[in-house]
Amino acid sequence: MQLKKSKSVRKVLAVATTSLLSGMAHSANSGDNSWEMDSAVLFYSEADRVSVIEPVVSLRKDMGDEHFLNLRFVFDSLTGSSPNGAIKTSSAQTFTTPSGNSTYITAANETPLDSTFHDTRVAVNAEWEKPLNKTTKVTYGANISKEFDYQSLGVSANFSWDFNNRNTTLTAGAAINADTINPVGGVPTGLTAMSASKLTTGSDDTKTVTDLILGVTQVINRTTLMQLNLNIGSDSGYMTDPYKILSVLDGSGNLRATDPYLYEKRPDSRSRQALYWKTVMGFSDDVLNLSYRYYWDDWDVSSHTIEAKYRFSLGDKQYIQPEVRYYLQDKANFYYYNLVDGAIPTYASADYRLADLKTTTLAFKYGIDLDKDSEFAVRIGKMNQTSNGDAPFEDVDATFVQLNYRMVF
Amino acid sequence: MSFDIKQDEGFWRGEFQSMASPCELLIETDDESLAYALTKLAFEEASRIEQKFSRYRQDNIIYKINNSQGKKISVDQETALLLDYADQCFQMSDGFFDVTSGVLREVWKFDGSDNVPSRNKVKAVLPRIGWQKVNWQSPDFTLPEGMEIDLGGIGKEYAVDRTAMLIRAHSDNSVLINYGGDLYATKPKKNGNGWLIGIEKTGIKPAQIKNKKRTSIKEFQLIQGGIATSGDVYRYLVKDGIRYSHILDPHTGWPIKEAPHSITVVAESCIEAGILATLGMLNGKAAKKFLQAQGVTFWIN
Repeated sequence: MQLKKSKSVRKVLAVATTSLLSGMAHSANSGDNSWEMDSAVLFYSEADRVSVIEPVVSLRKDMGDEHFLNLRFVFDSLTGSSPNGAIKTSSAQTFTTPSGNSTYITAANETPLDSTFHDTRVAVNAEWEKPLNKTTKVTYGANISKEFDYQSLGVSANFSWDFNNRNTTLTAGAAINADTINPVGGVPTGLTAMSASKLTTGSDDTKTVTDLILGVTQVINRTTLMQLNLNIGSDSGYMTDPYKILSVLDGSGNLRATDPYLYEKRPDSRSRQALYWKTVMGFSDDVLNLSYRYYWDDWDVSSHTIEAKYRFSLGDKQYIQPEVRYYLQDKANFYYYNLVDGAIPTYASADYRLADLKTTTLAFKYGIDLDKDSEFAVRIGKMNQTSNGDAPFEDVDATFVQLNYRMVF
Repeated sequence: MSFDIKQDEGFWRGEFQSMASPCELLIETDDESLAYALTKLAFEEASRIEQKFSRYRQDNIIYKINNSQGKKISVDQETALLLDYADQCFQMSDGFFDVTSGVLREVWKFDGSDNVPSRNKVKAVLPRIGWQKVNWQSPDFTLPEGMEIDLGGIGKEYAVDRTAMLIRAHSDNSVLINYGGDLYATKPKKNGNGWLIGIEKTGIKPAQIKNKKRTSIKEFQLIQGGIATSGDVYRYLVKDGIRYSHILDPHTGWPIKEAPHSITVVAESCIEAGILATLGMLNGKAAKKFLQAQGVTFWIN
């Protein structure tokens, strides 16, 4: 035998052997009954406003034969104040709480915040992943989430197909969620006056959220991977925030004398689309993650999101990762900073999250492998949300810390 | 079929028969229950691989492929990985390592006799050989009618490496795995030494600690890694003073000229040692040069 490249045989063989034995190491684990756990706790705090503590535990178990069970538990605890939608004025303002049982006062020249805002949420998500054959896989999911005034139930199915020597993956998925809201004090009739004896349409209302997702992931070369997703969604039902109001000004720019605050009202249907592109590139030990998302819907909201993360390896076991994210949004066609007496539209909301908006997030992550089966990471960041149009709402500044621990047990 | 364990000096020995070979484990422990558990694990894994990949059975994927009559067969993940491996070995050896060459056994019987087949007989088999003729698009495998595949050339070494992985996942003790002369040591012994291996004219095996008459021509300490041997002093033909080795060139269907009697190689894994030893044999009289270029420890007989 005259091997052309006889010197390289051992190296090529070593690589081939690694993929042979590690390929099966994956299945060899199937019988060992171990769980993979990913736990995280997020501390999020907006200056003078909302604070959130959110622990999340994800569990994944290999059930053998490439079947996996994934479980995810989320517990949210939210405290603090949230803008109620009214504008700040040169004199103190008095508002009725949603229950109608009490009032709160906002001082002159301050953004009105509803300080009765507090909530806890528990959510559980379960998924069952199973192969249909060697290149196709289906994942069924179910989720339930509960807050004191909100319930959500959902199911999903996802199909993925690898082909082109596993260099290309096509995915198709569908999800449907049925939500019920039971606002404190009933569901206010949209665009009617905030008062202790408000008009309501009932004690609860419902919403249905449907999503379809189509995606393709392509291995470009040994160091580059690209993903393109199209998401088409349709919502119907009650999408209004029952606790948010709008200020109504008279012709001279002052709050009108009677019924100065109206409950907001949003359309009862929405169709949404989003295109998402992501690329992951490896540079020896470092990894660059770039993504762009374009979103648009028939409320005329559209947004661009650009995100970049670069992971620097510090030796074998540690890494640092700076992250930057920029979000730019065009407002909904029924967003108003305030309403004007005599020109009350069919739909209106003063929720700043529907306004012309710009959000910048900077974060920094550090991760370390503690041993073969566990990993710890901490991520610290700052976020700024600011008006990008005429609406003079105040900036929202937030800081967050996320601790993450992953282990196999 | 089952297995046995026996206590020896400083270690337990597990024994069973699998893949037509005597198989043993030397386990550095005093713990009988550990020895039992590891031997059971090894026995079950060796039996599983034999059952799944032996070409002598009629209930496995190899039989299904070899009797597919040119039809496409979809294979499981493990078989796919082994076929990928066979494909890479074929490519890197320029077609000398070929899992479809087993049909040459129909004309070559290496029994020490002078029964050398005629040129025409060998020529008639050649159209049924050649990995380049198969269609392998994982997980779908199409084998042209009349051809066969045989993973016997890597099966035993693969079983050794698989067993080593399972043992490592279950125990931190040093274990020497020996499946019919294909060996692997999982880690150094507690005193830092390796297992003593005897390299003999008839093959390799763990050296007996208190052996009265040693037959080893060389002794070697295997601290961690695999050893495999290609060639067998009993498998050859002699006619008109020419010794025909059982290492056949799949391109010509004839034995490699001036191949060594046997080659033993030490490598990171048993399967790498086995492939390198086989490739060494396929290099004929250039075996030594080839193995030196690979930078591995080896012995040529």
